[in-house]
Amino acid sequence: MTTTTLRPRRGPTRTGIQLSRRTGMVFVLPALLLFVVFIAYPLFTALSYSFFGWTGINRGEFVWFDNYVTLFTKLPYRDDIPNAFFHNILLFAGAMVFQNTIGLTLASLLHRRKRFKRFFQTMITMPYLVSPLVIGYLWSLMLSPLFGPVNATLRAVGLGDAAQPWLGNPSTAIWVVVFVTAWQWVGFPVLLYGAALGGIPEEINEAASLDGATAWQRFYTITFPMLVPAIGTVSVLTFIGAMEAFPIPYALGGSMGNPAGATDVLSLLFYRTAFESGSSNAIGTSSAIATLLFLFIFGVAMFITWFMRRAERKIF
Amino acid sequence: MRRRILTTTAIAAVIALALSACAPSSSSNDTGSGDDVTLKVWSWRTEDIEAYNRIFDIFEEQNPGITVEFEAFQNTEYNQILTTGLAGSDGPDVPMVRAYGQLQPNIEAGQLEPIDGKVDGLDAIAPSVIAGAQGKADGKTYAVPLATQTLQMFYNKAIFKEQGLSVPTTWDEFISVNDKLNAADITPMALGAKDDWMLPIFADIVGSARYGGSEFEAKMLAGTTDFNDPDYVASLQIISDLEKYMTPDVVGVSYTDSQIQFTSGQAAQFPGGSFEIGTFRTQAPDLDFGSYQVPLPPQAVSDTPVSPGFSDGNFAINSASTNKDAAFTLLNWLATAEFGQLVADELNQFSAIPGVTYGDAVMQEAWTNYEAGQAPYLLLVDFRYGEPLGTAVLGTQVQRMFLGDTDAAGAAATLQEGISQWFTPGE
Amino acid sequence: MSLLTRVRLNRTETIAPTPPSAPKPPRRPTLGGLASSSFLWLYAAISITPLLLMVSNSLRTTQDMATQPLGLPLPPDFSSYQKAWITASFETYFVNSVFVTVGSVLLSTAVSLLAAYAFARTKSKFFLALEGLFLSGLMLPVYLAILPLFFMLDSLGLTSNLWSLIFIYGALGIPFSTFVLASFFRQLPIELDEAARLDGAGPFATFWRVHLPLVRPAIATVIVFRFVPVWNDFFYPLILIRDQDKYTLPVGITRFFGEYQTDWATLFAGLTLATIPLVVVFLIATKQIVSGLTAGMSK
Repeated sequence: MTTTTLRPRRGPTRTGIQLSRRTGMVFVLPALLLFVVFIAYPLFTALSYSFFGWTGINRGEFVWFDNYVTLFTKLPYRDDIPNAFFHNILLFAGAMVFQNTIGLTLASLLHRRKRFKRFFQTMITMPYLVSPLVIGYLWSLMLSPLFGPVNATLRAVGLGDAAQPWLGNPSTAIWVVVFVTAWQWVGFPVLLYGAALGGIPEEINEAASLDGATAWQRFYTITFPMLVPAIGTVSVLTFIGAMEAFPIPYALGGSMGNPAGATDVLSLLFYRTAFESGSSNAIGTSSAIATLLFLFIFGVAMFITWFMRRAERKIF
Repeated sequence: MRRRILTTTAIAAVIALALSACAPSSSSNDTGSGDDVTLKVWSWRTEDIEAYNRIFDIFEEQNPGITVEFEAFQNTEYNQILTTGLAGSDGPDVPMVRAYGQLQPNIEAGQLEPIDGKVDGLDAIAPSVIAGAQGKADGKTYAVPLATQTLQMFYNKAIFKEQGLSVPTTWDEFISVNDKLNAADITPMALGAKDDWMLPIFADIVGSARYGGSEFEAKMLAGTTDFNDPDYVASLQIISDLEKYMTPDVVGVSYTDSQIQFTSGQAAQFPGGSFEIGTFRTQAPDLDFGSYQVPLPPQAVSDTPVSPGFSDGNFAINSASTNKDAAFTLLNWLATAEFGQLVADELNQFSAIPGVTYGDAVMQEAWTNYEAGQAPYLLLVDFRYGEPLGTAVLGTQVQRMFLGDTDAAGAAATLQEGISQWFTPGE
Repeated sequence: MSLLTRVRLNRTETIAPTPPSAPKPPRRPTLGGLASSSFLWLYAAISITPLLLMVSNSLRTTQDMATQPLGLPLPPDFSSYQKAWITASFETYFVNSVFVTVGSVLLSTAVSLLAAYAFARTKSKFFLALEGLFLSGLMLPVYLAILPLFFMLDSLGLTSNLWSLIFIYGALGIPFSTFVLASFFRQLPIELDEAARLDGAGPFATFWRVHLPLVRPAIATVIVFRFVPVWNDFFYPLILIRDQDKYTLPVGITRFFGEYQTDWATLFAGLTLATIPLVVVFLIATKQIVSGLTAGMSK
């Protein structure tokens, strides 16, 4: 076996194989049209709203950066934004550490199995299918200090001290959000890593094993590098998801990020500023929040992508 | 030549298509010719759909030629639905709208029709209730109030009887009732502190008399006091003092949990709004409960116990409606005592129209108490006209009080700081 | 349990399962295998508990839940299912949901496949920028677009039109789908393209006959992860659809949420019914993933 067939090279490295500009455009055009009309145009219009003052839904005059200044000088934004931003970062860290490592672990365990593999895949991904309308209620009930099975089970097995008001304690509430998010989303890394693991030809592992490589060496030199593209994809999407997190924090803590703002995230701030505020300039202020969030995410996501691509090129 | 004709025809066809696509949708808006008009009424009361259909049947009988199409949407999304509906071409004729601060964006955007002078019966409605339907800036009335909600302490009659307790009339009796319930291992008060919006309600139920209800409101609006006033701080202190009568770690208890605590008999009392009556009746039809006003705490500024109250929902007219005549007919009917009675009988709500009798004993008792001593639910009525909302700030601060992160004085100061971002007294 | 620990506990067990072509040695139950099995079962149990709670509560009445939130549905009460079916106009809304979801997922997957192929097989900065543009669609709160979208559609008279939903959801799926698919396309060895070119295949033929079959697992993943949120979304139809006949299932289900009280039993019954199609789609899609993997890449 030659190494060229076993170690795919990244990207088109020889001219003549890559698509010409024109051909590429033909392939991209349908998506581009759809995207521009239904996403780019409305979203960037909405971002432009942040440069105007508003009375209800009537646009007022151009106010330059006034709305942005408000975000950093006036209550409640002055306090809420750093608080919410911190929680978004916690969500990202929590997701990377728990959700994606558990996802990788589950994917590896499943990769080896023959029995019940589909069953486990289904069970692991099923939480994703639960409607956001009831996730909050179901988990609130499960974790309820009064009626919930979680605390009841803990007490029954003698771990009564660990029985907390999970969603009522600011120090645990945000981790509940991390946990429920992981519960719902772990199917994604499991499927994606599973697909990536499946793409690793078994002959390589066999050959290496015959050569005397230990399992860890095999993982480190063969499996892990082949997973880097998938890890990159999952990481970028996890980052964006954590910064934009809305359905689960909203379901568990309401639009105010209960208790006492411990589960507040930037999208919740956007939501209550845009839709629950008594202020007439709700559209101006909320658009400013969304724009800042967008700029931050864009910058970091581009960085992560650039970094992962460099890592891929180095490995191959 | 042929090619030119084809091309021209093609271009003409495309233009015609484009023009028709850009034309406003010919939706079900009638031209208002006078016969057979359909009025679209929107609401967030999904619980009341069947009741409203019955109510509007009565209206339709009295007004042949007008059909009412009632539709209710999920409460949490209603504000967006309303805003886009009023802005778009296929919107409601008579939407239900929120009261006080949350009504202002729609008014300021010119989406609602002023109704002063065009609807009879508005003067009979209490001024504090009508205030919920008026524009803060121009003082004009834009809607007919639908319901009043009152806040009081509900109690489980069966438990009280078992424990040999009677409704407290003095503060000492109130404390002793709660102590006895605690001793009997029954949660004295069910409070869902996890859901922040319940907390300003609780604050006013136990504290309104302490800081002086309507008098305090007048002083706040005039600017002669603010929330750092010692009486207001003392009213918040009451909340901390009563914490021992609630579930431990009360911030972990959700609103739904607290309702279940009461309906299942685990808790003996439930501080809440009259809107709970319908819920309790539906979910626990066998529950024997009543309500009372929390007695005057020591050093209370008011001299009688009060039920704080507020206007909850109004009916307005879309300024872009093409059926305004019929809409005004409907609005006039909504301001009559006949409709008020239907609100009581069919919707189990307190009508904003005076002169209505309530068949449900619990409702009648709560209403009588309210008429004997009332106060505004201060933060909802007067302090939601800007960002941050007064109710939102206090809700979070009371949670922090329960968590031990702040005290009554700190909470009051934060509240004052928050609303002073937009509130200017003396308006 | 980490892989390393597993290996240490059981040196004789091979890490990689033997490929189908080689004869399989009989698997003996091992400590490592047991540990991994128990972990999987435990995780599966945690995963599924809230769902079981939902189904179990759908077989009780809301009044029952008001006195005892957690209880066994004995005897099971199916009245909520009937009520949900009728109140949420299931027959009509189900068809609408299928139409919108299938249509939009097909649309977004199709255009994303084409675009992702281009992103993977071109090298210019221009296409990198386009890829960044697409990805940026994920970086804004979904609710932000609602006002401009509403005005745009309203002026064209396209509110209350299910096609509008198909196009919107289709467009919304593009960022995620292109990102994931492009990363998989990038991993396909360039030698495949060279071989196809030698056989005389043009770009589209290469795409259709060579690349597509090899990324089937990714396609199935993308389909599942777009199908579910579109099927479950209530926000866009609630705001953009006025015609009650054109509502989708989730909108009908929001009917059960009152301002101060919720009809939990009926809600859960409705959601259980609404989740069944998702399970079906998921099972079909994961089958594709498995068969796609065994087709293998080492060709």
